[in-house]
Order: sequence, then structure tokens, then C-alpha cells
Amino acid sequence: MASGHHDNEAYEKQKKAVWVATAIMGVVTIAEVAIALNWPEGWGRGVLNLLFILMSAVKAIFIVGEFMHLRYEMRAMMISILAPCLFLIWFLIAFMMEGESWAQLRHFWGA
Amino acid sequence: MAADTQFEKETEQVQDNWSGGNEPMKASYGKLMMWYFILSDAFTFAAFLITYAALRMSSEIWPDPNAVFNSMPFTHARLPLGFVTVMTFILILSSVFVVRAVQEGHRFNQKGVLLWMFLGIVGGLGFLGCQAWEWNHLIHQGLTLQSNPFGYYTTNEVVEGQTVDVFKGYVNLAVDEETHALVLGEDAVSTKGEAVPAEAKWHQGNWLFGCLFFFITGFHGFHVTTGVLLNCMIWIQSARGVYQRKRNYEMVEKVGLYWHFVDLVWVFVFLAFYLL
Repeated sequence: MASGHHDNEAYEKQKKAVWVATAIMGVVTIAEVAIALNWPEGWGRGVLNLLFILMSAVKAIFIVGEFMHLRYEMRAMMISILAPCLFLIWFLIAFMMEGESWAQLRHFWGA
Repeated sequence: MAADTQFEKETEQVQDNWSGGNEPMKASYGKLMMWYFILSDAFTFAAFLITYAALRMSSEIWPDPNAVFNSMPFTHARLPLGFVTVMTFILILSSVFVVRAVQEGHRFNQKGVLLWMFLGIVGGLGFLGCQAWEWNHLIHQGLTLQSNPFGYYTTNEVVEGQTVDVFKGYVNLAVDEETHALVLGEDAVSTKGEAVPAEAKWHQGNWLFGCLFFFITGFHGFHVTTGVLLNCMIWIQSARGVYQRKRNYEMVEKVGLYWHFVDLVWVFVFLAFYLL
């Protein structure tokens, strides 16, 4: 228990980092909902979706980096966990293209 | 003699390594394996969400989330995305409370761990309660695995010499009290508040919406339930002083990782179902 001055300082710093991350995530969530409700119709759905994806990515980075503490782990460990996730990007793109193709086939065959 | 002791020492070291004593990434065996379990679980969730993406891309018309998720308990006011924002906050806060529990564990502060873990559990239960309310409400509105009341209406128009159905707007259908079938309610208005013309043809929303919504939020809710149970186990173990005696609070950290993962998945479920 008898933590030295240095330990205590590190603890206070970590505590602060977590509350800052919380505040940022809260603000991002409120911004997401506010944007979803007030987006003018003429501004295009694509830009809006891109914004949502970027804002969600910010939240994901804070959860994995700060809450799950991955930012402070060894580089090799970070890579071993994050690199396999790169496969998911192609997984997503491939299946969205597949979905579009299903839509075209359905349109073509009138089903 | 010296060689013998050296040999014995090395044997001991090898045995220790094989029983998980080695820490190649400066993280304990248990923590590393929790991370890899989370990675595999992330792939499972990604597969479900990507299925959602593919099926949604293959449908021409998909319900508008602002018109689907607009109810709040204790009020009849229409508040699009209001309730789900509250749910998101509850889950984020619960995650933060567990981070605090982990931090207090590093300082061997048993009371701190118990307090923050308790708040984390309360947050998890609060989220589950909200989800139960939302499911119940949507089912009463007529959203099931086969039917979708978040429909749309079309009118017949002549385009390039051919008569085709043209999409005009979204309309929320009502459940008929006698037949339980979906019907266009009397004086139904579109989700933009326009009157639905008498000659318009109304349609149910894509039935895949209900399937995907209940399946994916259900799978997430199942994870939350498991997480709450694990957090309760950690709370009981902490209260019994098990970690204090071992001078090791790493179990709090390992279960905490799982709890944060549940929060992480919610970010993407929120994105897929409520925002996009």
C-alpha cells in the first residue's frame, strides 16, 4: 500500500487520462446523435456515413487504447492483436460488393 | 557440482516456462490469452456485422433508424435516438467504473475495487434493463423475426412507357388488434409527417431488419449478461480478500478487458443499427 510519491503521481495521471477519455467519448456520442438528427437532406448520405464511421473509430481507439490499456503494452503485443484485424477491412469490402451484386441479380431477375 | 546445480536450475526454468511462467510480451499468460480470446470474439462479431452490411447492401429499401428508434419510457414524445444515447452512456460509464476498479487493484486498495466494481455491475444491469425495455417496445410495435412494421409506400407511375412502383416515403405500420397483422393505421402519416395518399400502395419493411436486429443486439446482450456475471464473481472474490492475500489483483484486469470489449462491440452495433 505504501506507494511512494512517484507511484502516486503516476496513479493521478492515469486517473486523469481515463476521465479525459470518458469526456471525449461522451462528446463524440452526443455529436453523432446531434449530427444524425440535424443533417440537411441535400448534403449527401455518403459524407454523413463517413463522418459516423470516423467518429466511431475515435471511440474505438479510446476504448482499446486507454480503457483496455493496449497503448501501454509492448509493441509486439499491440501488433499481434491489431494486425489480424486488418483482415476485417477486406472482409467488409468484399461482402459489401457481394451484397451489391445480390441486389443487381435480384433486380435483373425481378425477384 | 556446479554443473549439476546449473542443470537443475535450467530444468526448473524450462518447466516453469512450459507451465506458463514465461512472459514473452511482458504480459502474463492469462492476460495474453484473454486478449487472444477477445480477438477471436471480435472476429465473430465482425462476421455478424458484415453479414448485416451485405444483406443491407442487397436491399433497395431499408428502414430509417431515426423513425424506428424514437421512443422513450415514461413519455409519449418522439425523441429519435434519445433512449439509445442514454444506453450508450450507461455502458461507457460502466466501462469507466471498471477501469477505476483495475486502477485501485494496482494499489491493493480492496475497498476501492469493491466500490468501483459494484458501480460497474450496476451499470451493466442498467444497460440490460434498457435493452429489455427496447426489445419489448419494438415487439409490441410489431417488429418480429418475420414482420417489420417500419414500412414504406409507393405509387404507380409511368416511367419510360412502363408502369412501375415508385418509392414515395417511409411509413410506420400499426398492428391490427384482432388479426395481429400489420396494417396501415387510420390517418397514417409518413415519417416526415406527410399524409399517405389514398391511391398509394403500402409495404412492410424488409423482414431481415428484425432478424438482424434481434440476433445481433441479442448476441451482444448475451455478452453483457456474461460480463455482469463475471464482474459479480470478481466482486465476491475481492470481498473475500482472495486477491488481497495473493497480493495480485490481475483477475480484475482480465475480466475488465472482457467488459471493455463488450463496450467496444456496442460502438459498432450503435454505428450499424442506429446511425448508418
